Amino acid sequence: MKKIGLVFLLVLFSVGCGTQNENLAKGKELIKSDKRRKEERAVREFKLALQQPMDNAEAHYLLGFYNSQEFYEPNTPDWESASIAERGKQMFLAYQEEKGKYLERLVFETLRDDDLDIQNAALDALKRVYKQADRKRLLSQLQKAIKSSDNRDRHNAHWVLGHLGKDDPNTIVPILVKLLEHGRTETRLNAVKALGEVGSEDAIPALAVIIESGSAKWERDREEPEVRQLAVEALGKIGGAAVPELVKIVENKGSSLRVDAIRALAVLGDEKVVEPLLDALKEQSSRDVTIPLN
Amino acid sequence: MLEKITKFGKSRYFMFIVPLFALIVGIGCENQHYDERLQMRLQQLDSDLKDRWSTSGVVVLETTPNGPADKAQLERGELISYVIAEYPIRSTGDFNSALKKGLEEDNNLILYLKNKPPLRIALRRRGDKVGLSVEGNGTVRIKQIQPGTPAANADIQVGDIVEKIVDERKIYSLDEYKEILGKLAKQQVTFRTSELIGVKIAAVTALGDLGDARAIESLVDIFRNNTELSLRKASISSLQRLVELSVLNELFQQFQDANVNVLPADSLQAQQLESAAILGLLTVDRTENTATLKAPFGTQFRHRSEALYEKINEGQLAELAQEYIQIKVEPDQEIRRACLAILGILKPVSAIDPLVAVLENPTEIPGIRFQAGVALRQIGQPAVDALIIAFESEDTSTKDIAASALGGIGGIKARDRLIKALENTSEPAIQLTLVDAIAKIGDAPSMQALERQRQQYQNDDDSGIRIFLDEVFKSLTQKSM
Repeated sequence: MKKIGLVFLLVLFSVGCGTQNENLAKGKELIKSDKRRKEERAVREFKLALQQPMDNAEAHYLLGFYNSQEFYEPNTPDWESASIAERGKQMFLAYQEEKGKYLERLVFETLRDDDLDIQNAALDALKRVYKQADRKRLLSQLQKAIKSSDNRDRHNAHWVLGHLGKDDPNTIVPILVKLLEHGRTETRLNAVKALGEVGSEDAIPALAVIIESGSAKWERDREEPEVRQLAVEALGKIGGAAVPELVKIVENKGSSLRVDAIRALAVLGDEKVVEPLLDALKEQSSRDVTIPLN
Repeated sequence: MLEKITKFGKSRYFMFIVPLFALIVGIGCENQHYDERLQMRLQQLDSDLKDRWSTSGVVVLETTPNGPADKAQLERGELISYVIAEYPIRSTGDFNSALKKGLEEDNNLILYLKNKPPLRIALRRRGDKVGLSVEGNGTVRIKQIQPGTPAANADIQVGDIVEKIVDERKIYSLDEYKEILGKLAKQQVTFRTSELIGVKIAAVTALGDLGDARAIESLVDIFRNNTELSLRKASISSLQRLVELSVLNELFQQFQDANVNVLPADSLQAQQLESAAILGLLTVDRTENTATLKAPFGTQFRHRSEALYEKINEGQLAELAQEYIQIKVEPDQEIRRACLAILGILKPVSAIDPLVAVLENPTEIPGIRFQAGVALRQIGQPAVDALIIAFESEDTSTKDIAASALGGIGGIKARDRLIKALENTSEPAIQLTLVDAIAKIGDAPSMQALERQRQQYQNDDDSGIRIFLDEVFKSLTQKSM
């Protein structure tokens, strides 16, 4: 047994001396182990790995992934360098060295992590890609994700698109609006949610179309109820210029979304809604009305 | 096309464009229908209303003035969920054709026999027999009832006079409406409309949240006149919320006068700040010493606060609440509780007698009697005399609640009465209540009175009152430490 271990170490050593970055390998080994404070120790290795000239992409990525402010005394330089933004930057540096591989990894793997800090670091990295690098490729990956058959991808893509859209609605809103025609209900659902998060007035007409489709004659022309409900919620998040559209729903006696619209308006606290609400209260109670023959 | 439209005025294009335009409008509005006979425009409901709110039917969009629908006072916005056709029976032919028409589609009709309640006849399968035959002209009577049919199981006798057959048809879509109305072209029809309770409840709740004075009249109207309990409950709790908001007016005026959304927290009254924070209108940061109105509601409400305050203080709501705290007026206890809460906030002196009546009412729920006592305590000094009178009552619950309210209010008059009562009673239950009430006042004469009691019962080891007094003194000395 001991011999096998020795041979294994020798192999590791020779590999380390060869092409592999020794510290990177050590760090990765630590992560796989069940050692105490393995992540903290691995991060130290990744930092050392970055001082060597090879395999930097992976070291950047793993540093961004595993670094955490929990490892350090607050307000020290190490602590500062473990902020979400710094971790995002490390992930972005990985992307810069191997664009295709890390873009896909960030969108389809990193975002799926359970750790909220890791998700936020990935978001930060993707924002950097959007601002400083290949925006077109990023958007095409995100569209691929939001159309995916896996709910986690769709959800993550909507989240990132929502954030990107806040900074650049002119590019993102048309993309999301186009996705409203996608064949998969869950994709449309996530596009609607993202439009709410972007909060741009430009989305109002497209959302209105979805909302109004509820009474369409043919079933194929009607959007699913849950998508329409979310469209009303999105209007509520947009607020301001969306208030008249929400009021219109309240005034449409045949709409199935009046209650949703009323709730959204109540949250906005806009006094323009008082009159339509009072009108709704004036509607007749149940009764029989006879219309004579002549 | 553009060129053609610009030449719109020229008649040869006009002839072409008008039908085209009509076609476009027609296509755009396929979820609407104009009923030529009744002269009203109807709209299809969103199809998911059926699943979400179990609502179906068609909505009246508009009625043409002086048309049949308008004359029958059918209103814009009404939801028609049933079409009801009535067939008067004057001959066997009438009977047979009404039976056939009525059973079509839903296998279901209502038979009206003279001097009997309406009978609903339902067939299990299409084509099954009702099992009735009739005779006569002018007056139509039951001639025969076939055994083993729905008619045989109902309260029908040979010789009963058939007055009419009524067919109620539930409407699910605009197409169904058109079809049914088409069949009833030569027939008097009745529409049964449904109230959208869900929408109204949402509107009522939203109006409470918005804190707008204009809502009060409507909410009061619904509360007083609507027959739907859930809607009345929603109305009174919205009114309660408006009252809660209105008492924060002084606080919101400070923001409004300074025209800002942030003020130093220590410049504002602590209790009002706390209530406003609980209602979610602002956030208080003690370390930064700031009180910040929350957007959007808090920041918008400061503009509406004064109007709400004035409207609430016109007195209408206090009157309403006084009326509906009475069990004989309002059977629902949640509503009575809400009204008591409103009175506790508004503190109208005129409510003292009605509140004492609730407190003294042996048929009322104990919790509500107690809440009436709490409202009286909130009214404070003006309620002392009435509470002292209530305290004279023989009923121990009344005594208990009155004493506890007096203790909460305090003041010389209340205190002296409580002390006197304590010294003149030997009933353990009342003694405990009185000790508790006097301890709440807690001034020097109160403490002296309690000390006298303690000495009196000093050697009585088993006495509940001695143990209780020891507890009271122990907690008081702990507090003063």
